[in-house]
Amino acid sequence: MIDFARVQKELQECSKDVEGSGIRVAPKSDATLARLVGTIPGPIGTPYEGGTFQIDITLPDGYPFEPPKMQFSTKVWHPNISSQSGAICLDILKDQWSPALTLKTALLSVQALLSAPQPDDPQDAVVAQQYIKQHQTFVSTAQYWTETFAKASSRGIEEKVQKLVEMGFPEAQARSSLESVGGDENLALEKLCSG
Amino acid sequence: MEDFLSDDDYYDSGRDSLDGLENEDSGPQWVPSKGPTCKVITKESLLAAQREDLRRVMELLSLREHHARTLLIHHRWDVEKLFAVLVEKGKACLFKEAGVSIVEHRDLDAPPPPTVMCDICIEDVPSGETTKMECGHCFCNSCWTEHFIVKINDGQSKRIKCMAHKCNAICDESVVRNLVSKTNPDLAEKFDRFLLESYIEDNKRVKWCPSTPHCGNAIRIEDDQFCEVECSCGSQFCFSCSSEAHSPCSCLMWELWVKKCRDESETVNWITVHTKSCPKCHKPVEKNGGCNLVSCICGQAFCWLCGGATGRDHTWSSIAGHSCGRYKADREKKAERAKRDLYRYMHYHNRYKAHTDSFKLESKLKGTIQEKVSILEEKESKLRDFSWVNNGLNRLFRSRRVLSYSYPFAFYMFGDELFKDEMTNEEREIKQNLFEDQQQQLEANVEKLSKFLEAPFNQYDVDKVMETRMQVINLSGITDTLCQKMYECIENDLLGPLQLGIHNIAPYRSKGIERASELSVCWGDKVNNSGKPLPPHCGSTADPLLMLGGTTESDQPSGSGSSDETGYAPRKRAKTNVPGGGRFDLNLPADVVDRN
Repeated sequence: MIDFARVQKELQECSKDVEGSGIRVAPKSDATLARLVGTIPGPIGTPYEGGTFQIDITLPDGYPFEPPKMQFSTKVWHPNISSQSGAICLDILKDQWSPALTLKTALLSVQALLSAPQPDDPQDAVVAQQYIKQHQTFVSTAQYWTETFAKASSRGIEEKVQKLVEMGFPEAQARSSLESVGGDENLALEKLCSG
Repeated sequence: MEDFLSDDDYYDSGRDSLDGLENEDSGPQWVPSKGPTCKVITKESLLAAQREDLRRVMELLSLREHHARTLLIHHRWDVEKLFAVLVEKGKACLFKEAGVSIVEHRDLDAPPPPTVMCDICIEDVPSGETTKMECGHCFCNSCWTEHFIVKINDGQSKRIKCMAHKCNAICDESVVRNLVSKTNPDLAEKFDRFLLESYIEDNKRVKWCPSTPHCGNAIRIEDDQFCEVECSCGSQFCFSCSSEAHSPCSCLMWELWVKKCRDESETVNWITVHTKSCPKCHKPVEKNGGCNLVSCICGQAFCWLCGGATGRDHTWSSIAGHSCGRYKADREKKAERAKRDLYRYMHYHNRYKAHTDSFKLESKLKGTIQEKVSILEEKESKLRDFSWVNNGLNRLFRSRRVLSYSYPFAFYMFGDELFKDEMTNEEREIKQNLFEDQQQQLEANVEKLSKFLEAPFNQYDVDKVMETRMQVINLSGITDTLCQKMYECIENDLLGPLQLGIHNIAPYRSKGIERASELSVCWGDKVNNSGKPLPPHCGSTADPLLMLGGTTESDQPSGSGSSDETGYAPRKRAKTNVPGGGRFDLNLPADVVDRN
């Protein structure tokens, strides 16, 4: 069974430090803590700067003794992340996982992976080839993808907040629930209505 | 080239073995085998089997057993390699790589705080419910247990690491055992089994016996992995590839042969040679007589000569509106070739099969021969020793086996599949002649031996029995020598010069496939051999696990475990005491041991 007490504590711990790390983790819905959404800001000084990346997290039954399953739901151009599926090639999410790691530390590692690609151990061979052979093209493609996919939701979010406010919800609450469900209007509405 | 092809030579060696009338194995061709032999490792003796390796490492590095085990598992039970790493990189590096941490924690003495925060469940836990691993990391017992359970179920029992991130230390097996057995005693048992079985799974010197249903045993060999062994359950196998014993075939040849015999490739060949496919439904059609107009069951008529669809009007010599007479060289050639390959395969397969079948039939001989011998024993007072019958029978079985496997060997050795580019046609022909001469000689003598053994010699008078005896002893010697020479020829003249060194065969053993002996409880056979006899149950006795395995010394057959003559040898050998303590060579015929 998943140790939900620990997951709960992790979520609290993480929300305390949102300002510092920029990393958020929130449940996908109120029904379960087994499916979560993580959000990481693109590291400064990389083609991902300015983007906000969402990661789908599924906790296996054995969590935290088994690694969480993580996958980018925001499209990203990176040698170690599949441009098709968002699958992440990161050792700590596989055999190097340790129960002492947390969702936050894992997401920090993912963020670190964004700053330091490892093209020798690629998940996406096409991207890796480009990274090695045509680095400039790689940078601009990654930037373009960040611009197109990782900023759209944040641009659109103001409109959604506005919509919810018009429905009668306080702005701060509307914003935080939108953020916690990764910008999905309907989920945010559900969340607001239920509690 | 040696002149071993002359008949005289055979009879000479035959006569040599006649000198030692009692035992065919005292002939001059007998070569003492070197070194210790292979051992059967049973469920019970599994721990005893690894004891020697563990003790060497424990003694040299003054380690506790579980640390030694961790090191050995990391180095796949290769003690020499482990020591080489020690010399090359030093103790610290050796330990670090394997995840062994021997650090003295001074703070162990300090009174522990009443509660400790466990970093895994993020709860405050009373100190008594936490465990500090040797690496210094401390977590609560329930988290440790959960971690162990996940790892054991994940098949990682052999290397369960500490929970702390980037800590490479392997957890103390006793901690794992204790914690897991509190909630999952079955799993704790599984953990112990996995740990013990690492000695078999991760060790190139040890392999599971491939018997089905599995006898639960494993076999340990000493040096040469190209050997054939017999487990105590009776199954004989090639140690290198775990399939049935197949020398003088190499493992690769045998694998190909088995596959060839099993799948339909030859059936397919037959179809290519003997059928043509219907131009309409494409099913293969066999012509069963008549003229060249063939009708398929689908109703389509076609010309057998060219395979083209035709109308139905025809005479014996022509089909209305159809003419074909053009020679299709290519197709003919292909069919011709397929036919030749098929016949070649059939030639070798038939002979292989014939000898395998004879071998099966002759196995029944064992029973009838025993009857004949007991009849003779009752009525004949002058001739008491009938060991020649059984010796001859065993020789027949062994030679038959060699003969049978020599056919698939020849099929690949002189075929195109494996060595096409290794030999010129001329070379191939010379070698093939050389080999086939030997094979024929062997075959002829094996058949003769078979004939004499099947004869109703229990009804003969004394003189005729004596003559049969001479013949059997003589032929036994000859076939043994011939087998030996055939193996030598294969190793030195045929496989030896090949570029690719991937074809290795188990050496010929005059006494048949080596029967692995039970591991003795004192598990220090090496220590014993060096002349330092140890009492049973020697060594460290601190760990109760260590005492699990092994039978007592007195349970062991008196050193005749690896001799397949055991059951047939004259009685007096049974009580042979082992001369010179542990120096008894299991491969020596009992006679030689007696003389020593």
